[in-house]
Amino acid sequence: MTAVERPIGEDELHAYVDGFLGPERRLTVERYLADHPDAAARIAGWQAAGEALREAAAWKFQEPVPAALNIARLAETRIASRWGPWRIAAGIVIALALGAGSGWLARAPRGAGGAASARKVAAAVNRESGSHPVRLAAGQPALLEGRVTQGSGGAVTPPDLSRSGYRLVGGQVAASGQGPACMLLYEDAQGTRITLLMRPVQKHDTSATQFAESGGGNGGRAPQLAEAGADSGGRVPQFAEAGGNSGSAARLAEGGSGGGATAAGSCP
Amino acid sequence: MSVLSKLEENIPSLRRYAWTLLRNSSDADDLVQECLLKALDRIDTLRAASDLRSWLFTIMHNLYVNRWRRMKLRARLAADNAEAEPAVGPSQQASAEIQDVLRGLSSLTEEQRQIVLLVAVEGFQYGEVAAMLGIPVGTVMSRLSRARDRLREFVEGRERPLLRRVK
Repeated sequence: MTAVERPIGEDELHAYVDGFLGPERRLTVERYLADHPDAAARIAGWQAAGEALREAAAWKFQEPVPAALNIARLAETRIASRWGPWRIAAGIVIALALGAGSGWLARAPRGAGGAASARKVAAAVNRESGSHPVRLAAGQPALLEGRVTQGSGGAVTPPDLSRSGYRLVGGQVAASGQGPACMLLYEDAQGTRITLLMRPVQKHDTSATQFAESGGGNGGRAPQLAEAGADSGGRVPQFAEAGGNSGSAARLAEGGSGGGATAAGSCP
Repeated sequence: MSVLSKLEENIPSLRRYAWTLLRNSSDADDLVQECLLKALDRIDTLRAASDLRSWLFTIMHNLYVNRWRRMKLRARLAADNAEAEPAVGPSQQASAEIQDVLRGLSSLTEEQRQIVLLVAVEGFQYGEVAAMLGIPVGTVMSRLSRARDRLREFVEGRERPLLRRVK
């Protein structure tokens, strides 16, 4: 080697081993290795280790893909469940007929029972909250989703209740004793509104049931709904991450539309 | 070619990567399944079909880091490598070199292991690995060097069981 060449860096030695060098630079590296036995030995070791690794893993690559990983089947179940109820089963407590209460949403409460429950839940949600609730205008689901993510530190997908006839019209973020929570407001074609309170549910969380009791004044189904939340909550520390068992999911879905009808009475 | 068949094409390499990370077939396939389900849910966030492979590996990496590492599977493997599955199909016998390199793999840090597997086995570019792992390329390169030097010691027989070199 006569001419002074650009020095060979360690990164280039990797690129040489991994075949990422152009032909010219590759030759340069080869010449360098011929003159530097230590580097050549190191490279040979890297190459031997890479080959051994590839060989060690090859059988798994060649193995037939098990039926559990059949992509068509997975896609089928996923599409069927995309807007299905169990996406929302985990960690959801439904508090019915909370039209307003403590300035949560624009509407004032009408039914006395509804107002009392609303205050209870809102108070529970705001308790220990250092932050102010973020209120969002109706009809901005995209914004809402963004805010919910930002506010809670974890991704939250507002459940789609369109199969029950409800669409998302607004909501806000606040803190609950169990961490960040968000309240989502849904409305159907008749103007009937229901509110979902979503929050993380910890293992052995008994307050889910307490919420249910406070919502129970509005509709007989509420305790059942909250049970669904508590059932699935044990294992799932995240928001809306799928995981509820389908039994509770079914109850939740039923209650979602059934509870709405009840809600019409106290929050017209 | 449909998106589904493109996803399907990548399953063997996802299974290979999951297995080399976890060294347990059923845990590995659970991870792959979770990855595929997440990918199906988020397929609309994939910008270009050419990104599919690194996009899938990114999803799987995040799942692995968030969930599986929390379950301390790695800690268990590191503590008792005998629990790790041998690197062969039922009918083969692992060569000494394969056994050596797998012991070396178990001795790496989590980050070194991921990087050397993504580069040397899965064939990703350094920049792709950096983006996948959310770290600078320089960090990828330095970890790759440490990982390769360490594996080399095992493959060349300078690291034998009960004979650890102290640096």
